[in-house]
Amino acid sequence: MSNLNISAIKSRTYDAIVIGSGISGGWAAKELTGKGLKTLVLERGREVKHVVDYPTAQLHPWELPHRGQLKTGVAEANPVVSKCYAFGEATEQFFVKDAEHPYIQEKPFDWIRGYQMGGKSLLWARQTQRWSEFDFEGPARDGFAVDWPIRYADIAPWYSYVEKFAGISGNRDGLPQLPDGEFLPPHEMNCVEQHFSQSMAKEYSGARPMIIGRCAHITKPQPIHLEQGRSKCAHRTLCERGCPLGGYFSSNASTLPWAAKTGKMTFRPDSVVHSIIYDEKKQKATGVRIIDSNTKQMEEYYAKIIFVNAAALNTNLILLNSTSNRFPNGLGNDSGLLGKYVAFHNYRAGINATYEGYLDKTTDGRRPNSGYIPRFRNLQKQETDFLRGYASGFGADRGQKDDRNGWGEELKTGILKPKMNDFWSVGSHMMGETIPKESNYVALDKDQRDPWGIPQLRISVDYDDNDVKMTKDFFEQLTEMYTKAGFKNIRTYDSNRTPGLDIHEMGGVRMGKDPKTSLLNAWNQLHQCKNVFVTDGASMTSTSTQNPSLTYMALTARAADYAVKELKKKNL
Amino acid sequence: MQRREALAKVSLLLGGALSGPTLMALGRLGTPAAAATLRDKLNLSAQQKQIIAEVAEMIIPRTDTVGAKDVGVPAFIEMMINDCYHSPEHRSFMAGLTELEGLKFLQMSAAQKTDALKQIEQKTKEQMKAYNAQTIKFGDNQDLEAMNAVKLGLPFWRLIKELTLLGYYTSEGGMKASFEYVPSPGKLELTKLKPGQKTIVY
Repeated sequence: MSNLNISAIKSRTYDAIVIGSGISGGWAAKELTGKGLKTLVLERGREVKHVVDYPTAQLHPWELPHRGQLKTGVAEANPVVSKCYAFGEATEQFFVKDAEHPYIQEKPFDWIRGYQMGGKSLLWARQTQRWSEFDFEGPARDGFAVDWPIRYADIAPWYSYVEKFAGISGNRDGLPQLPDGEFLPPHEMNCVEQHFSQSMAKEYSGARPMIIGRCAHITKPQPIHLEQGRSKCAHRTLCERGCPLGGYFSSNASTLPWAAKTGKMTFRPDSVVHSIIYDEKKQKATGVRIIDSNTKQMEEYYAKIIFVNAAALNTNLILLNSTSNRFPNGLGNDSGLLGKYVAFHNYRAGINATYEGYLDKTTDGRRPNSGYIPRFRNLQKQETDFLRGYASGFGADRGQKDDRNGWGEELKTGILKPKMNDFWSVGSHMMGETIPKESNYVALDKDQRDPWGIPQLRISVDYDDNDVKMTKDFFEQLTEMYTKAGFKNIRTYDSNRTPGLDIHEMGGVRMGKDPKTSLLNAWNQLHQCKNVFVTDGASMTSTSTQNPSLTYMALTARAADYAVKELKKKNL
Repeated sequence: MQRREALAKVSLLLGGALSGPTLMALGRLGTPAAAATLRDKLNLSAQQKQIIAEVAEMIIPRTDTVGAKDVGVPAFIEMMINDCYHSPEHRSFMAGLTELEGLKFLQMSAAQKTDALKQIEQKTKEQMKAYNAQTIKFGDNQDLEAMNAVKLGLPFWRLIKELTLLGYYTSEGGMKASFEYVPSPGKLELTKLKPGQKTIVY
């Protein structure tokens, strides 16, 4: 009997367990297997194999029965996820429907989730701007949250490392607030975007640059990309259906198949993680409890190290639910701060206008990218009545219209003879840094459970006065910039969108120097349970204005490297 | 980042066929609660199906290129009303069909049919005013459920015209006959439109 038990335990024992297979979990899997560790990757959703499980990727418009529209009842049954810009007939298979995983909104919060192999890496907007020294020193300089335990120099080589593998297109712009990376050729700006860029350079003496976004699209495949079986992006811009070319980076196209090739990865889908097992005697984590979503049975798996990459809020949930005599309030939570200091990006504001130049030109083709205005507010020093600032997108587009009056041959002919607009449409949207606060938190509900018997997450996250002031400043500054560029018909709008819809929720398990005020150290290691690493959005001390995924990738590769070294030194 | 572009793309894909009110009725723009009344499937007689086909073909007739009937628009309209619209639109769509039935539309001469549609088109302008006023009023009303039970939908003409355009210009035949379809452009670059250049659809 005992022999049987021992062999059963052995068959469930790995060197490492990675919880989650999204953008950071995929990197953890690749790095740990690449360093020879026998690794179990737990994914709560189903398997989604690159290409073969992208059922809509190759469909022509006429092959979508409702031509992209949702059927009645879908939006009503899914008030949260149907707000997401990418949710539609061609993509709904990659989104969690509201009823599938209930949560409690103490304050309105649109929690957008993708529960499948690859997670939201299939659905992301693929913008990959590096964070800069201004971001990592921000909390210390401006006196909010806690000091990051790392600086740009600590992460810079890891940005390079992940960029080369992922394939990032971009221009070397030489900006300290948006450091250059290992770039594939950049996408082009069109004439009106160039006009705006040049006009800003002149009007603000270089203090407000507008550049082409850096994004995870292969513009010129390198041997490392071909080796992954990925090829050049074809500008189909149907990315959220899954890319059959592997033109953009996803776990499914890149890190997971790479990890599988090592022969060291075991991928277990349908595995909802319940909690992490803490051994009081060994004073470390020894494994993970899962609920098999098919059998509803609880099972245990064991490993020397555990990477938690369940996506920011679910990572919080798992740690909060990992209770023991030693940690009655959640794993590594002596400080009581687990779940607190959650923050996000303020995407609620936008601005549109027209430009009446370059009317002899239009564009041909599409671009899975747009222009980017890095943060210029409070950059070198504090200069406004609010903290931090915002980045903005920028895009210009020559539209056309046709005559849709009447019917019959006249209508048919009218549509065949469209007229170019006598203006270009330009627009920007705001990506504001929000300040992490103790009052923005997630916690476990005491009574309500999800379908797997796990406590539901209570989410209490809201805007504050700083966000309101910053939004107002965005309107003023962008209006000024648009005016200086000669744009007309300037209109601003505040969508008042609910936090969460930015899909940039971060924090709750923040990094820091002091175990009293943070959960993770400089290596994304739980201060009080050193063989558990958190390298997804939950680990973020502050939010910057840049899209965060690239930083999760770099932190993950860095932490995996450290973890394996520590393991070899027998420190874990 | 590309979120704004993604929205623009959706409208491009539709050929811009769906107007704001139609998108609202589809539940993507307005408050979902205001449109949450579900309904039974349309129960169309053979004659009513013929009327749909006839009107769709009059909106986009076969010329030197395919027409609405050639590319399956009538069945598309029926499916879209069934799958993607709510009770108010079902009521207004059926009201339009019944009206044409009463006029013995199918027995009319070509000229009479044209006149009948012109009158309906004219009447739609008034109906849209009432519809918009109602939408505003209903937006403020607490007693939504009861109001929805009697609420008017988008007018028949508006529904059938926009769905004909959507169905035709996103069908394989209609799209290829009308536009240059380039699913993998592989680029974004500046260009000058050549005279007679077909609209490029991506």
